[in-house]
Amino acid sequence: MNIIVFLKQVADTEARIFIKSDQNSLEIENKYNMNFFDEFAVEEAIKIKEKSKDAQVTVCTYGPKRAIEALRTAIAMGADKAVLLNSDGLECDDSLTVSKVLAAFAKNEGLDLILCGRQAIDDESASIGGMVAEFLGVPHVSAILSLDVTDGKTARVESEVEGGKERVEVHLPALLTTQKGLNTPRVPLITGVMKAMKAVIPDVDPTILGLPREEIDPSAAGIRVLSYETPQQRPPVKILEGETPAEKVQGLIKALKEQAKVL
Amino acid sequence: MNFALTEGQEFFRKTIADTVDRMIVPKAREIDEKDEFPWELWKDFTGLGYLGLRYPEQDGGMNADKVMCMIFYEEVARGSVGFAQSVIMNILMGTYFLFRFGSDEIQKRCLYPAMKGEKIATMCFTEDQSGSDLGATRTTAVKDGDGWRINGTKMWITNGPICDFCTVLATTDPGKGLKALNFYLVEKGTPGFSTGQVIEKLGCRGTVTGELVFDNVWVPNENLLGSELGKGVVYVGEILDEVRLMTGAMALGVARGAYAEALEFARKRIAFGQPIGKFQLVREKFAEMDMLMNAARLMVYYGAWLLEAGGESRLIAAEAKMYATEVCLKVVDELTRIYGANAFAYEYNPQRYFRDARFLLYGGGTHEVLKDFIGRTIVGKV
Repeated sequence: MNIIVFLKQVADTEARIFIKSDQNSLEIENKYNMNFFDEFAVEEAIKIKEKSKDAQVTVCTYGPKRAIEALRTAIAMGADKAVLLNSDGLECDDSLTVSKVLAAFAKNEGLDLILCGRQAIDDESASIGGMVAEFLGVPHVSAILSLDVTDGKTARVESEVEGGKERVEVHLPALLTTQKGLNTPRVPLITGVMKAMKAVIPDVDPTILGLPREEIDPSAAGIRVLSYETPQQRPPVKILEGETPAEKVQGLIKALKEQAKVL
Repeated sequence: MNFALTEGQEFFRKTIADTVDRMIVPKAREIDEKDEFPWELWKDFTGLGYLGLRYPEQDGGMNADKVMCMIFYEEVARGSVGFAQSVIMNILMGTYFLFRFGSDEIQKRCLYPAMKGEKIATMCFTEDQSGSDLGATRTTAVKDGDGWRINGTKMWITNGPICDFCTVLATTDPGKGLKALNFYLVEKGTPGFSTGQVIEKLGCRGTVTGELVFDNVWVPNENLLGSELGKGVVYVGEILDEVRLMTGAMALGVARGAYAEALEFARKRIAFGQPIGKFQLVREKFAEMDMLMNAARLMVYYGAWLLEAGGESRLIAAEAKMYATEVCLKVVDELTRIYGANAFAYEYNPQRYFRDARFLLYGGGTHEVLKDFIGRTIVGKV
């Protein structure tokens, strides 16, 4: 059974991020991690591998050279193989382009199951999973909470729906996106860390996957960032003055009516 | 010159830092407050296999180079210096002499389980009247049949009260000072071997430190850890630089933890209508701390690189231990000033860093002893 996990290296939640003077690009402190939701995908793939003897887990990312570190983390956790699709000089922000590249990789690799996080925590687009499934013509279930690959041909999946849970059966090959609650991603054992340190991770030019260059060229992007803007700073806390509690409450009601206009 | 970590070392740094953030940092406060050995964390963390860090792969270790060892010591101490002390005792001092001189049987019985965290190791030098002055060791080992009879009391033993075995330093002739010292393996359950007083410490809480009593303890010949009698001090010399650099790395770890707390506070705390990090006198503290920490880091890692390369590292190791620890004391002090009065409250973290930093003054040699050693070495006989 071939399991592919797509992952993304994203800025650490504690990394400092600044908007550059051109207003449409970012300067990010050099602190990157595997995307939070992708950790569940890697863990689940490894769990399946541990249960069935013939499964192989391949992790793959389409991104810059530095993303190899996130692939190493997946190997340390227990993935068998990792591939970097190097985005150097190519479009890698537009989800449609990214999905085309990932789907081309999966088609070349051969697959029974694809797992990836339900969204990346940097752009929050939550669209890659669905798009890749569409390009491959395989079923797709998003944000799964449990997975049981019963016989290698079908999978039973539980996912969250408004107000409850939904259980479905999916024919394989399929693409499933993962979310918090599916499992607890493991902390790598030192044996895994050693394996990951020594692993030679191929740095692949995605143009060899058979996609026409013009489809993944930066000029092919259907979406272009016009500008970034930081969230507005919250106004300072206002302390209501008043001699007695009653006076303060009166002041509060007045402020809610006249300033906040919520009453 | 190349100061960069290799890609492998960088990956190791990131992985161990992440592991510490996930497993140790959330428990650091509780470890300090309870001041009990964190058995559950010990089981979970040691289960990852890091205790074999510096030993060869064929023995189940990782064969990590000295730079990687420093990265590990620094990161674990950043999480909890109390927990780090217990972990590092098993990794380095508590197991080294078994690795170097232990018979196959001893390695199987003690070393390998200790590398997995199944057994807790310790090494005992210090006595109530001697620490840095090893020549004043009063614990004796006397030849008795096919073995040795050991008598004495050891003090300030990290992991002592909970250890499964210890490497104990004893003299065969108290009149001969440094020339009569040897190491012996003593295992829990050996008649006459018992634990005494547990020391309640100001900092580094959570690691259990105390007294070990050897009352007519008999051990067989194979428990003498050394190929030649009276060479104990020479054997200690084999790991002395690593021990000192390790203490420096731990100091760096504590300093980084304290620095991060200070930075977060300076960015968030509002005074006179703006974050206090905007005031020049507060910024000056960060400039100073960053400069000192970078200097300490260069010394510790240069020492580690030199040690790995087989260069002469004795002076730099002593200097790095001393400097990094003094920098750590300065950083924790600045943290308490930036934090203001809250730093004085048990409710917040600064007091923990402040207390923890003090202990690093003593392990690996007091600074008075180290300075004298460095000066004496440089000036030579005059």
